[in-house]
Amino acid sequence: MQQQPPRWADRFLRWYCNPDLIEEIQGDIYELYEREVTIYSLRKANLLFIWNVMRFFRWSNIKKSNSKYQSNQLSMFKNYFVIGLRNIRKQWTTSLINVLGLSIAIGLALTTFIFIDQQLNMDSFHTKRNSIYQVINTVQEGDSDLARWGDSPIVLGPQAILDHSVIKDFTRIEFRYGNLRRGDYVFNEFMSFVDPSYLKMFDFPIKYGNRSALEEKKNIVIGEETALKYFGQEDPMGQQMSIKFSNGVIQQYVVGAVLDKQPDNASFGFEIMLPMDNFFDLRFKDNYDWAYFTDATFIELHEGADPRALEELFMSYKELQNQSDSRWTITDFELLSLDGLGTEAFDIQESVATAGHPAGRLALGGLSVILLLLACFNYMNIAVASATKRLKEIALRKVMGSDRRQIIYQFMLENFIQVVLAMMVGILLSYYFLLPGFSYMVPINVPFVFSSWGAMFGFFGTLLLIIGLLSGGYPALYISRFQPVSIFRGKEKFGSKSIFSRVLLGFQFFFAFSTIVGSFIFVDNANYMAKRDWGYDPEGILSIPVANSQEYQTLRKAAMEKPEIMSVTGTQGHISRNSTYTTVSRLDNDFKAYVYRVGPDYGHVMGLRLKAGRFFEKDKATDLANGAYVNEKFVKQVGWDDPIGKTFTYDSSRYNVLGVVEDFHYYTFWVDIEPVFFLMVPEEDFKYLVVKSEPDKLVEVDKYLLGVWPSISPNDPYDKVYQEDAMNGFHEENRANIVIISFIAGLAIILACLGLFGLLSFNINRRLKEFSVRKVLGAQSSEIIRVASREYVWVLTIAFVLGAPTGFMMITQLINMIYPDPKQAGALPFIIAILIVVVTVIITISGQIVRATQVNPSENLRAE
Amino acid sequence: MRGSYLGEFEELVLLTVGSLYKEAYGVAIMDEIEAQTERSVNVSAVHASLKRLEAKGYVTSYMGGATNERGGRRKRFFELTMNGKKVLDESMALRTQLYNKIPNIAYNFSY
Repeated sequence: MQQQPPRWADRFLRWYCNPDLIEEIQGDIYELYEREVTIYSLRKANLLFIWNVMRFFRWSNIKKSNSKYQSNQLSMFKNYFVIGLRNIRKQWTTSLINVLGLSIAIGLALTTFIFIDQQLNMDSFHTKRNSIYQVINTVQEGDSDLARWGDSPIVLGPQAILDHSVIKDFTRIEFRYGNLRRGDYVFNEFMSFVDPSYLKMFDFPIKYGNRSALEEKKNIVIGEETALKYFGQEDPMGQQMSIKFSNGVIQQYVVGAVLDKQPDNASFGFEIMLPMDNFFDLRFKDNYDWAYFTDATFIELHEGADPRALEELFMSYKELQNQSDSRWTITDFELLSLDGLGTEAFDIQESVATAGHPAGRLALGGLSVILLLLACFNYMNIAVASATKRLKEIALRKVMGSDRRQIIYQFMLENFIQVVLAMMVGILLSYYFLLPGFSYMVPINVPFVFSSWGAMFGFFGTLLLIIGLLSGGYPALYISRFQPVSIFRGKEKFGSKSIFSRVLLGFQFFFAFSTIVGSFIFVDNANYMAKRDWGYDPEGILSIPVANSQEYQTLRKAAMEKPEIMSVTGTQGHISRNSTYTTVSRLDNDFKAYVYRVGPDYGHVMGLRLKAGRFFEKDKATDLANGAYVNEKFVKQVGWDDPIGKTFTYDSSRYNVLGVVEDFHYYTFWVDIEPVFFLMVPEEDFKYLVVKSEPDKLVEVDKYLLGVWPSISPNDPYDKVYQEDAMNGFHEENRANIVIISFIAGLAIILACLGLFGLLSFNINRRLKEFSVRKVLGAQSSEIIRVASREYVWVLTIAFVLGAPTGFMMITQLINMIYPDPKQAGALPFIIAILIVVVTVIITISGQIVRATQVNPSENLRAE
Repeated sequence: MRGSYLGEFEELVLLTVGSLYKEAYGVAIMDEIEAQTERSVNVSAVHASLKRLEAKGYVTSYMGGATNERGGRRKRFFELTMNGKKVLDESMALRTQLYNKIPNIAYNFSY
C-alpha cells in the first residue's frame, strides 16, 4: 500500500507553484517521499515532505498570475499616463475643480501638520534634553484640589546635588521685574536670575561671548532684542548696565554675553539673565528656606540615571517642606523630562514653558482632516460622474483584453497624477499664504520646517496614499465593474441616481451648514464680547508707576497744573496692573478673592459704579484702618442680603464693608469675575499715579507728563498704560479666533460649492438631450430649472436640517467653554447662514442651470 | 543573459549533470552530489541552480516520458551544452594553471 504525503502541504505546493514548473517539482518531491517512507518512519517522511515543500517556496517558483502581460505592462502604464494627462487637459474645468479643492485642503492639512509637528517637538534643539528634568511639585493649597506646580523650593536644587550623586548639575530660575538702565534708556524689564550652569545645560545659541559668562557674578547676559533696544549698532559686550529692583536696591552689571535669536521651537528662553547670587544679595527675604518657592528648578542627571528612582528619594524633602509651610504643602515630586515639557506645560501651574493647549491641536487637526475628507468626497463624486463620458472607452478597453485590474490601475494612476498636482499647489499655498497667515495669527512663530526627514516623508507619503486610495479607489472600483456588453447596448445608466454620491454631497453641505451657522454664532458672540461693558469707565484714564511718595507728590503737583487733567489720584493696586489673589474668610467660610489696595478717590476716578453704601472718605481713620468695599460677586459668594456694615477677615484683620460696586472685568472677558475687595492705603504706599482727562485730550496729557518725567525720576521708566488698552490682549485673541473660524467656514463652503458645481455641470451635460426634448415638447424655462435642480434642493434641505442644529450645538458648547458669560444665540446667525449658503449655491449653479434652459434643441438632437 | 560567472555549487551541479549524462534530473543530481561530496543538499537548491544554469545557457532540458514511480509524473532531464562544456574546461584549465604555479616552497608547512 502506497503512503500519501500530507495533503495540505501538497495543496499548498499546487497553490503557490508556477504551473510550468509544478510537474518536475512535485515529481521530485514525490520520488524523495516514496524513498524516505521506506527508510524512515512515516512521521519523519511526512516532515521531510513538508520541509521540501517549504524549501521550494521561493520567488522563482511562485505563480505569477499575469505573467502573460509582463512584457507590455510598462508601455501600458505609459499609455495610462498619457491618457490621464489628455483627460486632464480635455476636462480642464473638472480637473481644475478637483485640483483646486484638493490643494486647498492639502495646504491646510500641511499647515496644521507643521504647526502640530512643531508643538510636539518643542525644545528639540537642546542636545541634553533627555537627561534634563524639571522638578514639578504636586501641591495641596489649603483645602483646594491638588495641582501640579512648576515652582519648587529654592533650596531644593543645592540640597539635592549634595545628597544624590546621580545629579550632575542643576539650575534654578527666579523671575523678577526691574528697571534696567543704560545711560538715558530706562525700561521696566522682565528678568530672570539663573544659576551659572544655565547656559551650559541648555543650548541656547550665543551670539557674542561664551557659555561661562554667568559664572562671573557681575555679568548680565542679554538677548539679541534687548541688545538692539539698549545698544543699537554699538557692541554691547563689556558695557555697563544698572538695574533698580522693586525694593529700591540698584545693582551694577557688565554685559557678559549676548544670546542669538531663540529657536522658534523653544518653549522657554529669556531676554535678560543674571547670576543667581545677586538675587540673594537683594534680600527680599532674610532667609530663604523650604517655604520659599522659586519659579523653576531644572536638574541634569548623569547618563543612565533613573529619574523615577530619584523621585522616590526626593520624597524625604517632602517633610522638610511641609514643616516650613503648612498652608502650601508638597504632596509629591515629579521629574518632568525637558522632552515632555512643551506638551505638558498646559497642565502645570506657573510653568516657565509656554505651549499650546492640546485641545487647540486636536480641534485644528480634526478640522483639517474633515476638510480633507470633503475634498476627497468632491473628487469621488466628480470622478464617478465624469466617467459617464468615458464609458465607451472603458468598454473598448475591456473588449481589447483589459481585465478589471488594469482598468483600476488606469483610474488610480490618473487620480495619482491629479493628487500629485494638487499636492504641489497645496505646498505652494501653505508656504506662501496659509502658514505665514497662521503664524501671524498665533502668538508664536511657525516656520515652514519639519522636525525631521521622517516626519516630512511620513506626512507626504501618508497623505498621497490616503487621498489617492480614498478618492481614487471608489471611482476606480465602481467604473471598472461595468460589463462592455451592457455599455455598448446603452443599458448602463449610472451616476444619475447614485445614492452614494448624494450622500457624499449631503455630507459636504451638512458640514458647510454646520460650520457656517457655527461661525456666525461665534462671530456674533465674539463681537458682542468685544463691545461689552467693562463695568467701569476706562476712557481717558492713564496710569504711571511711581517709585515712592516723594515722586508721587512731585508728579501729582505737575499733573494738577495741567488744566486738561480732570482728576488725579494715587493707588497701590490698580485694575489690570496690580492686584493680589488671596484668601479671605467670613465666619468659617474661606474663599479666594482679589484685593486692590487703593487711594481714597480711586473708585470715583475709575468710574466704579456704587450699588450700595459708599467709597472711602479721605480723612476718615476708620476707613483707613478697617474699611473695605467689595464687588457684587463678593456679596454673592458670602451670601449676604444686606452687606453694608457686615465684616470679613483677611490677613488676620477684620474689615467692615462700606459699599458694594458693580462687577467689573479686570483684564479679559475669558475668565469669570471673581470676588474682589478694595482696601484703603495711605499715600506712602502709592505705587501708581492715575489721571483722568477728556478722552480726546489724553494723548496731549500723556505728552505733557512724559515731558516732565525725566526731572522727577531719572532711574525709572515712564511706563504709562492707557486704561483702554487693558483688554488689548483679549481683543487680539478674539480677532484671531474670528479670522480662523471664518476662514475654515469659508473653506468648507467653497469646497462644498466646488463639489456641487462639478456634479451639476456633469449632470446637465449628460441630460442636455433630455432638456432639448422637454423644450421641443413645450417645457418652460422655469420647468427646466425645476427639473435640473430638483435632486440638489432635496440634498441641500436635508443637509441644512441636520447641519444647522449640529453646528449650533457644537459651537454653543465651544463658546460656553471659552467664554464664561456668553450671549444667547438668536435667530440671526441661522438666517445669515442660510442666506450665505443659498447665495453661494445660486451663484455656483446659476450658470449651469441657465445653460440647461438655453439649450438649442436642434443642435443637441441632430447628432443622432 | 545574466553574467556568466559560475558559483561553486553551480559548478558542482554542472559537473554532475555532465557526469550523469542522459540520467540527470533533480533527485538523481541531488543523490550524486550527496554521494560524491558527502554533504547534505536540498532538492530545491538543485532546482534553483539548474534554473540559473539553464538561463545562462550551460544546460538544456527536456521532459522525459511518463514514469511508474513519482505518481506517473514526468522527469525533466538536463544535458550539458557546448557552452557548458566550455565553461567547465575553462574552469578546469584555470585551476590546473594556477595549481602548477604553486612553488615547492609552499609545501614546507612549518607548524
